[in-house]
Amino acid sequence: MEENDHTIVRAVLAGDKEAYGGLVARHSQSIFRVAFRITGDEADADEVVQEAFLRGYQRLESFESRSQFGTWIYRIAVNCALNMMTKRKIEATHRITEDADPSRLQVQVADSAADPERLLMSREIESMHQAAMQSLTATEQTAFVLRHMEERSTEEIAAALNIAPNAAKQAVFRAVQKLRRSLAPLRANA
Amino acid sequence: MKHLTEEELVEYYYKDAASPGIEHHLRECDACAEAYTSLRQDLASIKLPAVPTRDASYGEQVWQSLRSSLPVYEKQKRRWLHINLLQGLSYAAACIVLIVAAFFAGRQWEHRQRPGVQSAANNQPTQPIILVVLGDHLDRSERLLVELNHANDAGAVMPVKAEAQDLLSANRLYRESAARAGDEQLSAALDRLERVLVEIVNEPEGSSPAQLARLQKEMNTDGLLFEVRVLRSRIPDQQKRSVVRTKGVSI
Repeated sequence: MEENDHTIVRAVLAGDKEAYGGLVARHSQSIFRVAFRITGDEADADEVVQEAFLRGYQRLESFESRSQFGTWIYRIAVNCALNMMTKRKIEATHRITEDADPSRLQVQVADSAADPERLLMSREIESMHQAAMQSLTATEQTAFVLRHMEERSTEEIAAALNIAPNAAKQAVFRAVQKLRRSLAPLRANA
Repeated sequence: MKHLTEEELVEYYYKDAASPGIEHHLRECDACAEAYTSLRQDLASIKLPAVPTRDASYGEQVWQSLRSSLPVYEKQKRRWLHINLLQGLSYAAACIVLIVAAFFAGRQWEHRQRPGVQSAANNQPTQPIILVVLGDHLDRSERLLVELNHANDAGAVMPVKAEAQDLLSANRLYRESAARAGDEQLSAALDRLERVLVEIVNEPEGSSPAQLARLQKEMNTDGLLFEVRVLRSRIPDQQKRSVVRTKGVSI
């Protein structure tokens, strides 16, 4: 019979470090999925998964047995992903400030011109979507991903982001507004 | 007709606002229905990169990368020890507080139960001394009055004059002390004794037996002698009581 999460947590706290491996194996896929959706980068998502489980282990004593371990580690992962996003956005801002060369961005788009027209179109749309997502703040992007992709409720988003439910709802709304505005040219072309 | 805002449409799309009013409005209002259709299309068109797949061993890989950096939890044990230590200290502190409280409560209770004990204890250093000395004074006064009562001639007054002079000054002090202490009976008796002593002291040399008889009669030395004997009989009792109350602190 498979041990439940609470039993494993108790075993880990009693000194059985290896038992934590069972929790990692059980929840790492779902954590990777949300981490990737928020960060949009495979390597960053892997890093978030590791950091989330590391933090989870360090804070295991504060885990309350009345909540689900899956929900708890999910929230930690969202927080880690959010921190990662914030860090990446700050780094990107510095890069743009350091070498703000608009022609370089054009060159980057032009690099894919070698592909067939359809593939190019598809990549261009994907690139616009990504750019639209990048235009959101870290909180807006995370709130939108959790609402739109992960189908989490406003309360769950609020708990994961440590904000009030109304603030979470507002974050989702602002994200939708910004995305629609950014993707309006695509709609006009369609 | 008031149209739905974009925020309301977004809430409705995500089922955050399950309002039948919005549904009804969308059926009635073409503009809002069109705006909602547009919103749905926009949101449905949002395409983000597909999540890369991770095989079944992914969890194991993550665990292996973490494993070496995780310390073994021994905190649970320490926490229990910590809690036990804290509990022990709490119990000890509570016991000390209870003992101290019980001690003070006992003291307060004892004082409330026997308020006389406190006053007796407070007076304890002076009262027995006064009583012993007063007893001696009354003894001497009694002897003086007995001699005076049995004096048959004026010559018999002379030996007691010196003694009366000596007793007079002491008697004044005792009378004032008794008056201050609120002992009206003692104060009144000492006052009468003082008047007799004054008369004896002021009795001229060579008084006649008639003068002596007048003094005995006017001063009612018989009555005063009885009063002094009564006072004397009170003193040993008071001394005994004060000794009992002060629990061995008497002189």
